[in-house]
Amino acid sequence: MNYLLVNLISWLIFFFGAAFPILIVLRVIGLTGFMKVTRFENYHTFYYNMNPSVKIMLGIVVTVVAALTIWWIGAILTVVVLFTYLTLKNGKSKFITGFFLTMITIIGTTWAFAPYTPYVILQEAFHNTTITGIWTWPSYFTVMGYQKELSIQGLIYGFQISMRFTAISLISLVLVMTSTPSQVLRAINKIGMPVSITFSLVVAMRTIPRIFEYIDTSVKIQYMRGLGSNAPKTIRPFYMLVGAINAIVPVIVFLVRGAKDTAISADTRAFRAYRTRTHMQPVSIGRADKTAIMMSVLAMFVTAMVVIMGFGRAIPYL
Amino acid sequence: MKAVEIKNLQFFYAGNPDPSIIVDSLIIEDGETVLITGRSGGGKSTLVNCITGIIPHINHGDLEGNVEVYGIKVAETPLSKLSSEVGIVLQNPESQVMNYRVEEEVAFGPENLCLTPEEIRSRVREAVEITGISEIQDRETYTLSGGEMQRVAIAAVLSMRPKLLILDEPTSNIDPEGTAQVFEILKQLKEEKTLIIVEHKVERVLPFVDRIIVVDEGKVFLDIKSHELIHHVDKMLEIGIEVPIHFIYARKNGIDSEDLPTIREKLAEINALPPLHARAPDSNILMKASVKVTADNNKQLVNGSIELQKQHILALMGRNGAGKSTFLKGVMGFLETDLKAEVELVLDGKDISREHIIDRGREIAFVPQNFDLTLISKSVETEVAYSIRKRKIKDYKVRVEEMMDMFSLTEFRDRDPLSLSLGQRRRVAMASAIASGVKIIMLDEPTSGQDYFHKEILGRELIRLKENGFSIIIVTHDARFVYKYADRMVVFDHGEKVLEGLPEEVFLKSGKFSVIPPSDYLLRGYNELLIG
Repeated sequence: MNYLLVNLISWLIFFFGAAFPILIVLRVIGLTGFMKVTRFENYHTFYYNMNPSVKIMLGIVVTVVAALTIWWIGAILTVVVLFTYLTLKNGKSKFITGFFLTMITIIGTTWAFAPYTPYVILQEAFHNTTITGIWTWPSYFTVMGYQKELSIQGLIYGFQISMRFTAISLISLVLVMTSTPSQVLRAINKIGMPVSITFSLVVAMRTIPRIFEYIDTSVKIQYMRGLGSNAPKTIRPFYMLVGAINAIVPVIVFLVRGAKDTAISADTRAFRAYRTRTHMQPVSIGRADKTAIMMSVLAMFVTAMVVIMGFGRAIPYL
Repeated sequence: MKAVEIKNLQFFYAGNPDPSIIVDSLIIEDGETVLITGRSGGGKSTLVNCITGIIPHINHGDLEGNVEVYGIKVAETPLSKLSSEVGIVLQNPESQVMNYRVEEEVAFGPENLCLTPEEIRSRVREAVEITGISEIQDRETYTLSGGEMQRVAIAAVLSMRPKLLILDEPTSNIDPEGTAQVFEILKQLKEEKTLIIVEHKVERVLPFVDRIIVVDEGKVFLDIKSHELIHHVDKMLEIGIEVPIHFIYARKNGIDSEDLPTIREKLAEINALPPLHARAPDSNILMKASVKVTADNNKQLVNGSIELQKQHILALMGRNGAGKSTFLKGVMGFLETDLKAEVELVLDGKDISREHIIDRGREIAFVPQNFDLTLISKSVETEVAYSIRKRKIKDYKVRVEEMMDMFSLTEFRDRDPLSLSLGQRRRVAMASAIASGVKIIMLDEPTSGQDYFHKEILGRELIRLKENGFSIIIVTHDARFVYKYADRMVVFDHGEKVLEGLPEEVFLKSGKFSVIPPSDYLLRGYNELLIG
């Protein structure tokens, strides 16, 4: 094949892994999409009725299962958790955002592993000495740590690895979307963490959606002031990244100025008056929690069984 | 009983050789309602912080003298203990409210006091009842309007049951309807607590307060009973404090009354009514904008249109949530992607409805309420030059100098914009927004939280911009500012345009849409158009 064409295609493949997830973030999810999946909304379904401690436990169980079992169990878990997004407030919109976040994780992780993983690892992982190359990189790509060829086994391996993260990230967002910081504070305090540490987590949970909102405003104003005005229209969305980087300092300064008010507001309302706090709604375990605990126990039992049956995280990887 | 007793107070901020506040002696009695007013930077916040204990417990510096609240020495008592004696409601409820649910926010303080769940519930119930927020008790705090949020902030402090309640500009970010609700609460509280209200707008709080303390240049400049205000109007004006306009006219014309209708009658008799404000004559339509926005659930958020004339100042008013900001976002192409929007935007005869934000920005500039978010450069000069360079405009250096000169920024050219004062930062934001040669400038709530002095400066800047060929749209709740500076105004309600015209015409009917006419207007009389 023409040398120039090989180079062009190789660089396109190279950039695909980095640019496509960014494009999904910029064009499909957007900063307001991130805001929606990092913010609590009041509702009444299963997750909302659960005790935050149980939700944290659920997250740990999902992490353990995804880490210990064969990749397709992680994949099944991902699909299950993603479909439970439909039970959330504005479930359809959150399901779509969750779906694209999962896509980003899969593409990003696959591209982070597929070209780099040495053949010897792939041979061990797949219990097969034959590696099927689908694209040969220009020789100088080895400088970046690339293998000689992009292989089907490399892509599959990368995809399988991504299944260790997808379910975990989806279940983590469930905690943020369905628990108020105050509920989380109550839950974490129960396990003895100091109030001042948990309070900083609470403020962070409240602040993260605002960060997306403020960055969004700042970037749009930069667009109005000409950011990307001389670039071709197809490249303009990528200027959002430039704008977001530019926005970091003013957004931080703005938040820090507000943070002082938050500190005053907390301290003038007796925060840290005592080492512990009491709560208006004592932490209780309801029906939803019992169901979740039973499901978690079942999941751990099944995990143990499948690992014993040879479907654990072992070689061969298939 | 003394609620507050201050003796020989001096406070120096770290690194500042001059004291920011000096008070030899000040006593506020239990049950008094006191207004503390003065220009921004005059020392009123420092004084209040010394009473609440924010100084020296959070803001550090050298504190001399003694401040006692209900006999407790503030400097020697931890804030957590003081919080049951003195509570403070800050200016911006958004940064004060830290919980997601209203009920949790109100319960936050009592929970810190380690009270029993029953006691916490009882205090929450009491605070919610006083502030009238029981209907929004289960709502997320970020969905509340400014007025609702401020009432939640008050409830959150009331649940601590403080004997002394301090409110720092409690209505500066909210609409007249929200303001009325807050004052309704204060009316109730006046009977039960000692109140200190820090406010720029004397007129708003005058009916509620017993006493007025004016702080200027770090000292108590004036300490009077509220009914004595009319005799001190000149002194207040001298240091740039907004006072009721009818007091000024009464004083000027020797009328011995505080009652607005009486003053108006007497002024009419001697033909001394205030003059009508000059409005720009009608000119060509520069921009026609029609915006229809529908939410995901098919709920209509905005359906309205406006026309902006060349070299005019057009004010958009209406209660919080009336659709003004959504309308502006539609004009600029800032709307969230999950909203369905139909926008028709014709500028100078050219349809730019389908143009990207970048291209609309060639003609339209926008300065948001949080204008600090727009300051992204390391120096004032590069900030002002940003849009000129991005748009590759020739002779950019000359243009930058012109802009800096127009906004009096030349002396700060090398300073970091974020390190400047509030007024200076706003000027940088405005200069950098319009520098690339836009025709229209839109400002969202530019008067919010500004004192009389800074609002006057802003007003003069807008007039100068208008004279230099710009057309301006401002969103504001400040009726007095609109009456003085706008050429036309539009009122939005429930997403629709309900009134439009000259301020004089619109204020005749705007009351039912929560846009209360200012006292300047009332002083001229409701039938002024006929008279004029």
